[in-house]
Amino acid sequence: MPQRQLFLNIDSCGVSLFYFIAALAVALFLLGIVSRIYLWVKSAKGKKIIWNSEGFSNFLVNGLLGRRLFKGDFSAGIMHFLLLWGFAGLFAATTLVAIDDYLFSFLKGNVYIVFSAFADAAGLMLIAGVLMAVIRRYLQRVPRLERRTEDFLAVFWLLLVGISGFAVEGSRLAVQNASWEKWSFAGQFFSMFFTHSGNSAGLYQFLWWSHALLSLLFIAYIPYSKLFHILAAPASLYLEKQPGIISGAEDVSEERSPFSLREIIGFDSCTRCGRCVDVCPSAGAGERFAPRDFIAWARREFSLNMDMPSLLSKIHGNFINRDPGDSSLTEENIWNCTTCMACLEVCPVFLHTPDAVRDARKRVIEEGTKVPSFLSQALKNVFKYNNPWEATKKKRAKWCDDLDVPDLSAAEGPADLCYFVGCTTSMETRAQGLARSFVQILRNADISFGTLGKKEPCCGDIARRAGEAGLFEMKKEDCISLFSDLEIKDVVTSSPHCFHTFANEYFSCQMPGSAEDQFSFRVRHYTQVLHELLEKGFIKFPSKLPLKVTYHDPCYLGRYNRIFDAPREVIQAIPGVTLVEMFHNRENSLCCGGGGDRMWQEDMEGEVKMSEKRIREAADTGAEVVITTCPLCLIMLEDACKTAGFENELRVMDLNELLVRAMDIKAVSGDESMAEKEIFAAGG
Amino acid sequence: MRAWQKKRYLQLEVRNMNIVVCIKQVPEVGDAELEINRDGTDILREDLEFEINEWDNYAVEEAVRLKEVNGGKVTVVTLGDEDSEDVLRHALAMGADEAIQIEEEGFEGSDGLSIAKALYRVLKDLSFDLVMTGVQSSDDGMGQVGVYLAGMLDLPYATLVIKIEKKEDGIIVNRELEANTQERLEMTLPAVLTIQTGINTPRYVSIMGIQKVRKVAINEVSAEDLGLDSEDIGSEGSIFSSLHFSMPQLGEGAEMLTGSIEKMSEQAAGIIRDKGGMS
Amino acid sequence: MDEILVLAEHRQGELREISFEMLSLANRIGKEESSGVTAVVLGDPALPFAEEIKGACDRVLFMDDPELANYNAEPYLNVIEQIIRERNPGLIILGHTASGMDLAPALALRVGIALATDCLEVNMKEGGLSVLRQVYGGKINSELIFKPSERYMITLRPGCFKAEREQAKSAEMVSMQPPAWGELNVRRFLDFLEAELGDVDITAADILVSIGRGIGKVENIPIVQEFADAIGATLSCSRPVADQEWLPKSRQVGTSGKTVKPKVYIALGISGAFQHQAGMKNADTIIAVNTDPKAPIFQTAHYGIVADMMQVVPALKEIFTRA
Repeated sequence: MPQRQLFLNIDSCGVSLFYFIAALAVALFLLGIVSRIYLWVKSAKGKKIIWNSEGFSNFLVNGLLGRRLFKGDFSAGIMHFLLLWGFAGLFAATTLVAIDDYLFSFLKGNVYIVFSAFADAAGLMLIAGVLMAVIRRYLQRVPRLERRTEDFLAVFWLLLVGISGFAVEGSRLAVQNASWEKWSFAGQFFSMFFTHSGNSAGLYQFLWWSHALLSLLFIAYIPYSKLFHILAAPASLYLEKQPGIISGAEDVSEERSPFSLREIIGFDSCTRCGRCVDVCPSAGAGERFAPRDFIAWARREFSLNMDMPSLLSKIHGNFINRDPGDSSLTEENIWNCTTCMACLEVCPVFLHTPDAVRDARKRVIEEGTKVPSFLSQALKNVFKYNNPWEATKKKRAKWCDDLDVPDLSAAEGPADLCYFVGCTTSMETRAQGLARSFVQILRNADISFGTLGKKEPCCGDIARRAGEAGLFEMKKEDCISLFSDLEIKDVVTSSPHCFHTFANEYFSCQMPGSAEDQFSFRVRHYTQVLHELLEKGFIKFPSKLPLKVTYHDPCYLGRYNRIFDAPREVIQAIPGVTLVEMFHNRENSLCCGGGGDRMWQEDMEGEVKMSEKRIREAADTGAEVVITTCPLCLIMLEDACKTAGFENELRVMDLNELLVRAMDIKAVSGDESMAEKEIFAAGG
Repeated sequence: MRAWQKKRYLQLEVRNMNIVVCIKQVPEVGDAELEINRDGTDILREDLEFEINEWDNYAVEEAVRLKEVNGGKVTVVTLGDEDSEDVLRHALAMGADEAIQIEEEGFEGSDGLSIAKALYRVLKDLSFDLVMTGVQSSDDGMGQVGVYLAGMLDLPYATLVIKIEKKEDGIIVNRELEANTQERLEMTLPAVLTIQTGINTPRYVSIMGIQKVRKVAINEVSAEDLGLDSEDIGSEGSIFSSLHFSMPQLGEGAEMLTGSIEKMSEQAAGIIRDKGGMS
Repeated sequence: MDEILVLAEHRQGELREISFEMLSLANRIGKEESSGVTAVVLGDPALPFAEEIKGACDRVLFMDDPELANYNAEPYLNVIEQIIRERNPGLIILGHTASGMDLAPALALRVGIALATDCLEVNMKEGGLSVLRQVYGGKINSELIFKPSERYMITLRPGCFKAEREQAKSAEMVSMQPPAWGELNVRRFLDFLEAELGDVDITAADILVSIGRGIGKVENIPIVQEFADAIGATLSCSRPVADQEWLPKSRQVGTSGKTVKPKVYIALGISGAFQHQAGMKNADTIIAVNTDPKAPIFQTAHYGIVADMMQVVPALKEIFTRA
């Protein structure tokens, strides 16, 4: 009768010992779980987790199937799939055995044969996966994979568990020599190594105990190491789209964590796979920042600062968040992050590092003594003068002094569209070209629009990225009340940052079902408006403009809001223009280095400047012009163009400026350099 | 410093420093174009923003730092109108513990001596180890109040302080002199110090930081409460009979270059070559 | 007017220029008001300074004592208070310097004399003494007239009057006895701290490229450095830049920094607060670049450009590197 006897050849003393050790292992396991979950509960702060089908499908697709893992590294996807299902299969097998033994016996006969074959298959998958992992990490030495003690243990211990499992099975089969066991094909294979002799029985015992100890202690080890991602990652994937817990605490008093529940669970899901390091523009420029290092630092920092029972505190300090001693990232470096979200684009557990960076900055801001000084001045200027650039409100509308643009705040409305110019576009000389051109295009299309003149507040993006939550709330209120007073319902912005902040952060910061009656307005980025104008035939090109251009996807337009096609379609609608793509394009676009408040920070150069790296990519395409759709990108890339010495070959332009030329509207930008004139003289 | 580190430090060396800082709210004039009112007695203030006097900001930061290391209490005092409450809240958000506001009514047109008198009457009833003021204020720049106050309180004082070091039985201060030189003085406590810019880097004060202290009660006192009447203060009590503002005459001044950036740069380059002895 | 009293200043063995500047003012008023001009010199020894100064005033009162070797508030206060009470001067002039700022208000309080500080110009008028000062960072001039009194005190801003050493006088030299000091230990002078030996001596440069707050952020400094390199100039700065530690203090030009006299001084993004101007206004040629057409620097500069320094600097660098 095909079945397997539990505790074969183990005497009752051994069985008791086994259960004792198992209990110990489970206790250690639970202790580790409690240490982790304690912080989760503290961060949850009474927020409810609701059913969310998007989150569930994220868990299914990216968790169980591991779809993201295949991206850019097919063998990693295979490896993890094998590991996951191998491990899950074996875990299920063990559970079934326990049920069979303690509840009701069913693993008999054919059921058993199928079960044993299935278990063997799972075991093989596991070993195959682990071997792939070993090869990738220690033989191929994939650069982003580390070879620390924790990594070594995770991989080799699992391998030993797997091999010892087969060894036990093999030696069992050698002892039992039952005919049905040929279905346990792998076990059969292993049994060849063992002979049917008395020694085998002793060997079997040894192997059995080895496997038992290895497995039990492995289970116990899980919560103390990166293996905890087995439990945390599914949670992280599920919570990806969960509303209401996106933002960390507004009030960061000492005892509470500045990070949200989603971020804490994300921290615990990190396996240090390093995909984020590969795509991070800061790490790529040789700066002392990488998301992986930041996460380790943040976890350690906040867990050490949280009040918790001293036992848990010791566990965190000595095991879970032990000082790795090898990271050079310090608190200063949290200001390096440009919040470009390249890391989130590739992270298999959807860890939202940019949000976590913002929340870490909150604490520094509130404490006050370590805020970078230039940023400090910029924030003070935003508070008093509604812009980070200068200590005066008077210059805000100067860019359109000669353009006769209706000022909605001075009751020169009503208008269909409110053009929210933004701080940088209004105040920065180069960026003003964007606004002047856009205004000409709108006029040309007979669109009724207006701006907010000198009364235009700052959208608050600068404050929010810096972690200055109070200032952000203040600017948010200023904008909402101004829009509401002037009954503005349709807003278009120059900057993707303003667009993103209005569209995604003004109202989502509120808890769902909040009592506040939200005034709401539609907001678009100007590329969307241009696209609509193009489709409706308001943008026409009288002649060809033979020009080779490339397009730089701004992080806040592309990755954050998935607007990739609209600007491209507009560019490609210009007859004569050829669009070539840079190596990093669309969702893989390389950040210009201006976001995350880097524009208002001091020198953070690594080995190279981020913006210079990007401009080189642009130059490599052979394009004559780089088109951007963000004022920060415009400034950063143009500066980089000059310092990297590409001024004579490459020109940086905003999309509006290109259109104005192509549409042959009278040029409005006063400060045209000679190079630009030459480029367009040739094009007619 | 983490909370647990702070606690240990204080246990080792408990030497409280109670500090009173006198601060002033001034117009923020950095980038602004100023205009004078019709009778030439003041600038037009409508479009101006206000801020804590830069020197006083450094003083508050220094006081809070000394308190953080040594323990004790920081009290801030100002003389001004209701708006001047903003600078008191700013100081409280930085870490000051108590705030006192002397109401401006009656003090309009006062000279430095009258202001010092008012401050003296508030301070004489407080217990402290140090009194700090800024070296001067960015509006009138007289730089007297701190030293007057020291005289009235009959306390040792030092001006232009650029560094403070606490010792067993007193302090050592560095004063900033001309030509990149400093002098060091040893002083007993209590004492009065006027603080120079650059002594530290004042911390950033967040909006939430200010909101957190908005409920802290501010003690308000009037000239009457202090026993000062119009003879002592205001224009009556002032040593000056009149004050007249005027725009500085834009004399010959510089020969202004004109044209595009390129053109002006060419001209400037020519001047540099010529006058700089470049071949 | 009764006697005019001037407190001469010295430091580390040298009589300071301000002493003669004050005497120039005192002598002018003295002539107008028919008052004698008396200089007070306190030191250890004081006689050499007294000798140096006797050509510029009518009388020198000098006192030797170890307590007076370096300026210190208490001993100086005691001595000068005594002198004032004995001699009843009509006008007392001190320098608006580190010592004068420290001493004057305390002295004024003790002897009950009205005081105006940081004066640029002083005149005796019908109603009382009139002084000219600057307020709001040098953007506004302020004329103050004292209420009529027998006695006034002012501190004089350095650099406003010519330091005339020989004023065709021969002073009566009067030696004074130091008082019994009593307890003087509430504030003790310890020592001087010399300027840090910086990397570069800006006072030796022929051409200085000087940056102020207008630079915006420290990231822009290398761009200016490249321009300076292109013309063989040395980089210097105003106080705000040194306070932020963007450049070492040894590069600071101004009253609390260094005084320079190069052939060409290029002031970029510097507004021209008095303290800075005091350190560079004697340069042979001064070119100033600032976005504010009303910046005080344009008063002292020989040539001015109203523009953003970060637009001018690249253009200038371009011109010099292509040459």
